[in-house]
Amino acid sequence: MWHVAVEDWPLGYGLMRRLIQLLKTFTLWELLKGLQLTLRAFFRRKVTVQYPEEKTPQSARFRGLHALRRYPNGEERCIACKLCEAVCPALAITIESEARDDGTRRTTRYDIDLFKCVYCGFCEEACPVDAVVETRIFEYHMEEHGESIMTKEKLLAVGDKHEATIAADKAEDAKYR
Amino acid sequence: MATEHPMLSEHVRAEIDRWVAKFPPGKQRSAVISALHAVQHDNRGYLTEELMQAVAEYLDMPVIQVYEVAAFYSMFEAKPVGRCSISVCTNIACMLRGSDEILQHIENRLGIKEGESTADGKFYLRREEECLAACNNAPMLMINHKYHENLTTQKVDELLDAAATEDSK
Amino acid sequence: MTDKRINLEVNGEALEASPGQMLIEVTDKANIYIPRFCYHDKLSIAANCRMCLVEVEGANKPVPACATPVAPDMKVHTRSPYAIAAQKATMEFLLINHPLDCPICDQGGECELQDLAMGYGRDVSRFSEGKRSVKDENLGPLVSTDMTRCIHCTRCVRFGEEIAGIQELGTMGRGEHMRISTYVAKTVDHELSGNIIDLCPVGALNNKPYRFAARAWEMEQRESIAPHDCVGSNIYAHVLRGVVKRVVPRPNEAVNETWLSDRDRFSYEGIYSEDRLKVPMVKENGVWQERSWEDALEHVALKLRQSGSDIGALVSPSSTCEEAWIINRLFEHAGSADLDSRLRRTDFHDQNNDPVYPSLGIPIAELEQQQGVLLVGSDLRREAPILAHRLRKAALKGCSVGVLNAVDHPYLFTVADTHIVEPDEWCATLAGLVVAAGGELPPALASMSNVSSSGSVDYLKHAPSLILLGQMAQRHPAFGTLRYLAAVLAQLTGATLGYVTDGANTAGVSLAGVLPHRSAGGKPRPEVGHNVLSMRPKTLLLVNVESVTDLSDQIDRNAIRQAAETVVAFTPYAPDTLLDDADVLLPIGTWAETSGTFVNVAGLWQSFTGVSNPVGAARPAWKVLRVLANLLKVPDSDYESSAAVLAEMRGHCESALMNNMPEFVAPESSLAERSTEISELEVSLYQGDNIVRRATALQKTQQASHERPAALVSSSTVEALNGG
Repeated sequence: MWHVAVEDWPLGYGLMRRLIQLLKTFTLWELLKGLQLTLRAFFRRKVTVQYPEEKTPQSARFRGLHALRRYPNGEERCIACKLCEAVCPALAITIESEARDDGTRRTTRYDIDLFKCVYCGFCEEACPVDAVVETRIFEYHMEEHGESIMTKEKLLAVGDKHEATIAADKAEDAKYR
Repeated sequence: MATEHPMLSEHVRAEIDRWVAKFPPGKQRSAVISALHAVQHDNRGYLTEELMQAVAEYLDMPVIQVYEVAAFYSMFEAKPVGRCSISVCTNIACMLRGSDEILQHIENRLGIKEGESTADGKFYLRREEECLAACNNAPMLMINHKYHENLTTQKVDELLDAAATEDSK
Repeated sequence: MTDKRINLEVNGEALEASPGQMLIEVTDKANIYIPRFCYHDKLSIAANCRMCLVEVEGANKPVPACATPVAPDMKVHTRSPYAIAAQKATMEFLLINHPLDCPICDQGGECELQDLAMGYGRDVSRFSEGKRSVKDENLGPLVSTDMTRCIHCTRCVRFGEEIAGIQELGTMGRGEHMRISTYVAKTVDHELSGNIIDLCPVGALNNKPYRFAARAWEMEQRESIAPHDCVGSNIYAHVLRGVVKRVVPRPNEAVNETWLSDRDRFSYEGIYSEDRLKVPMVKENGVWQERSWEDALEHVALKLRQSGSDIGALVSPSSTCEEAWIINRLFEHAGSADLDSRLRRTDFHDQNNDPVYPSLGIPIAELEQQQGVLLVGSDLRREAPILAHRLRKAALKGCSVGVLNAVDHPYLFTVADTHIVEPDEWCATLAGLVVAAGGELPPALASMSNVSSSGSVDYLKHAPSLILLGQMAQRHPAFGTLRYLAAVLAQLTGATLGYVTDGANTAGVSLAGVLPHRSAGGKPRPEVGHNVLSMRPKTLLLVNVESVTDLSDQIDRNAIRQAAETVVAFTPYAPDTLLDDADVLLPIGTWAETSGTFVNVAGLWQSFTGVSNPVGAARPAWKVLRVLANLLKVPDSDYESSAAVLAEMRGHCESALMNNMPEFVAPESSLAERSTEISELEVSLYQGDNIVRRATALQKTQQASHERPAALVSSSTVEALNGG
């Protein structure tokens, strides 16, 4: 809105305006107007949830804490192809690899720095064996320096714990891929 | 080029030399296929590593090249096989004239499958023989480089009997 | 070559070519890319991948560019719909049996098939039948195989036949059953075998020590120079987070072409050996104590000051020029000339006949043009595999090669003139050749027994020709006589005299003046110092030298040890022998961790920078030596970079020419003072220096296990044994 100082307005107009203002002041018009919104909202459907007792619904594609998955026979899925490391825009993933004793290609180190991660989900997209996933977990914290680094053991532990959910989410999303 | 070789008999060497003579000097390795034929024939139908090594030394060529030739051509056998080699043509002309039946008959009679040898080492049934250019008298088979045409199961029995007798001599 | 030129048109662009050239050579030169798998400019043409199909106007079908000679007024289209359709069809066939395992394939990211499949492949396969799989071959500890990935381009087969000279791989079977194999389970044993890794366009043949260690895209490619032979092959070190993961050749037609010896390719493993020395250590009352760099260097400086001019140094011929130069300055300041880099040489009596720096005498590439070459006491395939490859090329072109050696090593080409005699007979045999060439022997040599004038060296009279003194000749107790005779023979025949030198930088350390009789640039020292055999200094510096394995057996280690109060070892490693022999250990970087310069056997100065992070507290040796020089108050020793050291050194070497034929003085006595065995002269292929000795994969090869000097017996010994 344009704004001009009241003093500059034409005399008659200013007088009228002042009278209306005076009336509004005595009838608490503005307060009522505000309470009108409150009243309307009072009868509307509620959207607030009582976190942490209540939670908002999550998509199957929710991108939270990372996990490394295993095959049903217990073998880790990751084959150290390093595509996630390459695609990561935040350079949050560090992988070292070598041939395991049975000749397969495996990681010796798989670190995700949660402070660097931007949760874009590219790692999950890049993975040819669905090994690295972003789970629905979003409530986690760190107490000590260095805890932000998710090591291979920690990632596999997350995967082991939530495999049922992860598998169900993957299955749900599969038809769009 | 070696003139003597402990692994090669005199008549094999003569045969190889005859082939070598057909090629320009220094191109003796061109005789490798004929040499392998001669050696295989002399060794009752198959080649061994030592024999291929001997051919390589005799023709002064890398042994791997002899292996290559032997592995490429289906008429060279690198594993011990039966002495009498039977090749049944199963290409289209023979197939239309009943070669499948002939093959089945031989398999049943000898109790072996394609590519196998009989336990007594007499017969070897070659795998998947390609057209041997005798379509006019299909079906046909070849026993030890000899063509036998217009086959019937009866004729096959006779041929096998004859071959068995020949072998026991 | 005729001067006639052919005009042709490729994609509407007018190009010129020589008759007989293949289309792909012409387009490559004009930067018009045609996809290919089997074509390689160093190998013969096979035309079996069919990827380079192009459209030629007037031809009734697409033709392979690699096997189609150019013709006048040819009109070629490499990107027309017709050509692309042909290339796409080829790609579809190639992908039928190729596994989809790129994520675990080490070639992934640098794969020719992968790259071209991006351009020519379909996004969906129409092939629904079963793919074939092929059993892997065991080709030894250097090359890993995944034969299912093979697309049968036969580059590896042709490499064996044409470059290596020993065909170990072949194509077995045909059609669907074709596979690349050694037929009988056999490893590929050749000193250049690692090159098939680079040649393989897919991931079928790969680098075994590097297997699954890194991806092509995450490593940094840094230029360097290979440190294990006198060729100075150009290399790229591929480095991941400061660690060398693998080494590949850097093409340089003047030096190593596109090849690299296995020794240079796989030695990097030695950098990360377990016995790397990580902190400076000082032995106090027989107990090793870790020290800070300051303390350790102060300690060494104190010892050096106390010893005054009674100091000595044994310097590895693989040290960089910069290291050698600072050592030379250090010793000139201290007034000592007891420094030597000729660690395995035992005959020094005619060291004044040494050239300013020993060299091949010709540029490396010219080795191919020689008409005659005589190898004296050299096992070239082991001493410098790249030179042996060049010599083989020359021999295939018609060069006559003569060999004087104690063992008849296979050369993979026809040797025209072979003299296999015991090392003690080498002088007599060479003298015989001199007589046969019409030369006269000086009085001291004329009396030599058993000189037979048999044999002919007429092949050396066809210019250009070369007489090469190998490393074994240089270690021979009668090296002076051998060299004199070789020089006489060279003069008689018009051949060039050349050396195949030890280590990576014999030329450079000689120019830097790490010799008892010569200072920088080959200037004679006023007072000749003690050589490696005779020095008994109070304080001894071992620079990159391991006291047992790097020195000749003739050196009296006990006497040196007893005379020396302090032995200071500048070393990347702390093996038990050094822990016994040294008093101070200073950790220095290997070639990968330091900048420096090597002068190769053809006199080519090649500088390189450090490529990887130092291991532990190791520091580049030139920096350690510089600090030591500062502590000892050597004037003007505040070098700020290795380039500054090099610039100062080069200032002193400008007048040094490549000349192996100084005025020779005839030897006064004929024969060596002692007899020698071949085992004493030879150094096994993978025992040459401290890094190679620790390269685990190389040590597992057949060459490493079979070619130990002790296992080699000369033919005459065999005869003697058989006779007895």
